[in-house]
Amino acid sequence: MAAPIGNVVIPGDSFSLMQLKTPDEHKKILLGPGLKEEDTEIKVLRPGILRYRKPGVYWVDCHHKRYVPSKGDSVVGIVNQKVGDMFRVDIGSSEQASLSYLSFEGATKRNRPDVKVGDIVYAKLLVANKDMEPEIVCIDSYGRSSGMGVVRNGGFLFHTSLNLARKLLNPQCVLLKSLGNRFQFEISVGVNGRVWVKAGNDIQTIALVNTVIASEFKDNDQIKEMCKRISKAVSRMEVD
Amino acid sequence: MASFTVVKKEDLDAELEKGPKCVLRGQTSDLGCLTRQDGSVSLSQGDTTSIAVVYGPAEVRINKEKIDRATVEVIYRPKIGLPRPNHRKQERIMRNTLEAAIAANLHPRSSISVVIQETEDLGSNLSCSINSACLALLDAAVSMNFMVASVTVAIKENSDMILDPTKRDETEAKSVLTYVFDSVNYQILTIVSCGKFSRSEHKKGLTLAREAAKSVFQFYRESMSKKLLMSE
Amino acid sequence: MRETPLSNCEREFILKNISQQRRLDGRNAYDYRDLRIAFGVSLGCCHVELGKTRVLAQVSCEVGEPKQTRPHDGVLYVNVELSPMACPSFEQGRQSEEGIELSRLMERCLKESRCLDMESLCIVSGEKAWHVRVDIHVLNHEGNILDCASIAAISALAHFRRPDVSVNGEEITIHTLEERNPVPLSLHHMPLLVSFTFFSQGKYMLVDPSSKEEKVMEGKMVVGMNKHRELCTLQVTGQMLLLKDQVLRCSSIALTKVTKITELIHQALDNDKQARSKGEKHGFAVLVSGDKVTANRLPKIEVNVEKFEDSDEMDEGQSCSDDADAQNGIEELEMQTEAAPRESAVEILTKGVGVIGEGGASTWLDIPQENTKQQAAKKRRYKSVAMEEGIGS
Repeated sequence: MAAPIGNVVIPGDSFSLMQLKTPDEHKKILLGPGLKEEDTEIKVLRPGILRYRKPGVYWVDCHHKRYVPSKGDSVVGIVNQKVGDMFRVDIGSSEQASLSYLSFEGATKRNRPDVKVGDIVYAKLLVANKDMEPEIVCIDSYGRSSGMGVVRNGGFLFHTSLNLARKLLNPQCVLLKSLGNRFQFEISVGVNGRVWVKAGNDIQTIALVNTVIASEFKDNDQIKEMCKRISKAVSRMEVD
Repeated sequence: MASFTVVKKEDLDAELEKGPKCVLRGQTSDLGCLTRQDGSVSLSQGDTTSIAVVYGPAEVRINKEKIDRATVEVIYRPKIGLPRPNHRKQERIMRNTLEAAIAANLHPRSSISVVIQETEDLGSNLSCSINSACLALLDAAVSMNFMVASVTVAIKENSDMILDPTKRDETEAKSVLTYVFDSVNYQILTIVSCGKFSRSEHKKGLTLAREAAKSVFQFYRESMSKKLLMSE
Repeated sequence: MRETPLSNCEREFILKNISQQRRLDGRNAYDYRDLRIAFGVSLGCCHVELGKTRVLAQVSCEVGEPKQTRPHDGVLYVNVELSPMACPSFEQGRQSEEGIELSRLMERCLKESRCLDMESLCIVSGEKAWHVRVDIHVLNHEGNILDCASIAAISALAHFRRPDVSVNGEEITIHTLEERNPVPLSLHHMPLLVSFTFFSQGKYMLVDPSSKEEKVMEGKMVVGMNKHRELCTLQVTGQMLLLKDQVLRCSSIALTKVTKITELIHQALDNDKQARSKGEKHGFAVLVSGDKVTANRLPKIEVNVEKFEDSDEMDEGQSCSDDADAQNGIEELEMQTEAAPRESAVEILTKGVGVIGEGGASTWLDIPQENTKQQAAKKRRYKSVAMEEGIGS
């Protein structure tokens, strides 16, 4: 019996190492989130769909609403507090992340970045460890912003489940493609389930927000149909 | 303080005719029924319903922080009046049971809190609370070593067994036993008993409850599969 | 627990749109969200959904002494609970400012409007009277808890029945529900609360605010009214000044809302009554429909009890069957582990759990191209499975 890849697994399920057979050329396997090795068995810790990727990577794709930081993740956070040289940023995890004022592009001790409490930042996790406070930065290793930093100029921020955020981030995402065919908009999606969106006008922005939220339990055909309806409704409203 | 339920006489007569009942009442679950929480479920077993929500792994208050694992908190909310000592006891039973199931070492210095609201107590309330808590944990995708399922058995004076008793069955019975099993080997995690019972009665109840628990686990799996596969 | 802070961009966006008469959920300024009223199996149990805001109210009663200052009256308690259930920022066991304001307003709405005939709750003057208690539990906070709670409380009071009592000289008999039909509480009228939120110094006004709108509001006015146009409560909070016109306009809006809601409550009560008299299924369990993706239904099942007979015959002295079972289980497990080849072709790279946050960058997301075809095939399979399940449920 092979491991139930693509099927639903729930906590308490287990399978032996032999079941996780990988093609002969790869003898090593890597267990991702939701799986644990115990003796000769692989145990499932979280309910979700078991996924496999070459070479030998297994993980459980599950539905979360609460974010658990992971190194290198791109997140959207809300600046909550200024403490000395640091900003405390809410990224939805159990602890607030810290963001040094020097980790912005072009920031020096003299030239402080203009960040206010309540601002939104798009940042990457530099330190993410279960035993340590998460730390985020708005620059890459070359000191360039590469798209990160404070998100300004209007728009709207809303919260989704992490699963939906991951779906949006997938390059093959049907929802964003079919919305993109009809509207012009900027979007930044954090894997922590925060999405910032800004379209040509506020009506469109509101429509986009509601479409994204409504797409959670819809399949691709339903999503396409919904986008068609929404764009019609929006163009009618804009005329009024 | 009390609230009342009207039971029709015909219904009662019909029930009595059936004799000993080894039937698990119908169950319904609604995952993610609330919006502000990390996981939520409304579960009904027969007419008994409860709503459970889960937050976690979330921020923990400093005096409850544990450096090597997550703090598991359970809050039980009765429908009538303020929480009383017996509700505190119930909270403790549930906390100890859930602590065994949750893989708390994965999220040190955080809290996993479960809040359970009784919405309709018409028998086997503790079972319904524990099962709803487990489903809420599954909905929030909190890491767990195994799942738990609870089944209540009432023993009548003539040592007849009633599975998943109603409120009336519970008051008429000489003892009420609530069993909690794990989902791997179907071993006992918790037993809560009330009233007198003999050893053989206990064994009888245990076998019955264990069989019933298997279908509860199946129900969990179906509920989760439906949600996860449909939103593919 | 800490609540997610509101970002500046949300605040600005909401305020800007309110000034253009637009709301995030597409409602007009004076629209309520969808309202759903449901009753439980037990009497006086009401569950109200206003959009996503959910409130549960339960009425209960017991016989006790009346208050010395009012020997001919029963007693009504109102208790509003804001528990962490509804929203992570609410704390267990400690009333927040918001909680106190809420319970005070609910008390004013129910007690001081004298909607409940207290004298009819008296059994023996100065000695025995009914104590009626309304417990209001907020289950989900998505804004406008107050209106939702007032609807739940008054519907629960209207739904409640207390046991009948007869007094014969010194003797008081409380009849059980089987002996005599329970009697309803006598409600004179149905006061309901309608909240109005104000923005930009009272320039813009919204009915039934959502939680985000509540966070950016400047002030709030609560109007308590019944359908007979009688004002029961009026409270203004926040830092703003209101014009006389606005107060009058609010009260006339409140009247139309209250009339509609009262109608809905009566309809819900009638539906419940009919379902009960026909012996149909009622209560919360029936409300969950199996068609939803997130909902599931398991019919009544008979548990197979073949094994059960064996254990019946078992001697008391015999060793506990569980121990034996457990031992068997362990043996089996040992056998399995032995059977499993020790030198597996598979090697574990990282020991222990798939820990989050240790090791390199997260690469879970970019699924390589060669896999997509395979995945598409798999997806088709899930769909067929899902469809089967859909038919099954």
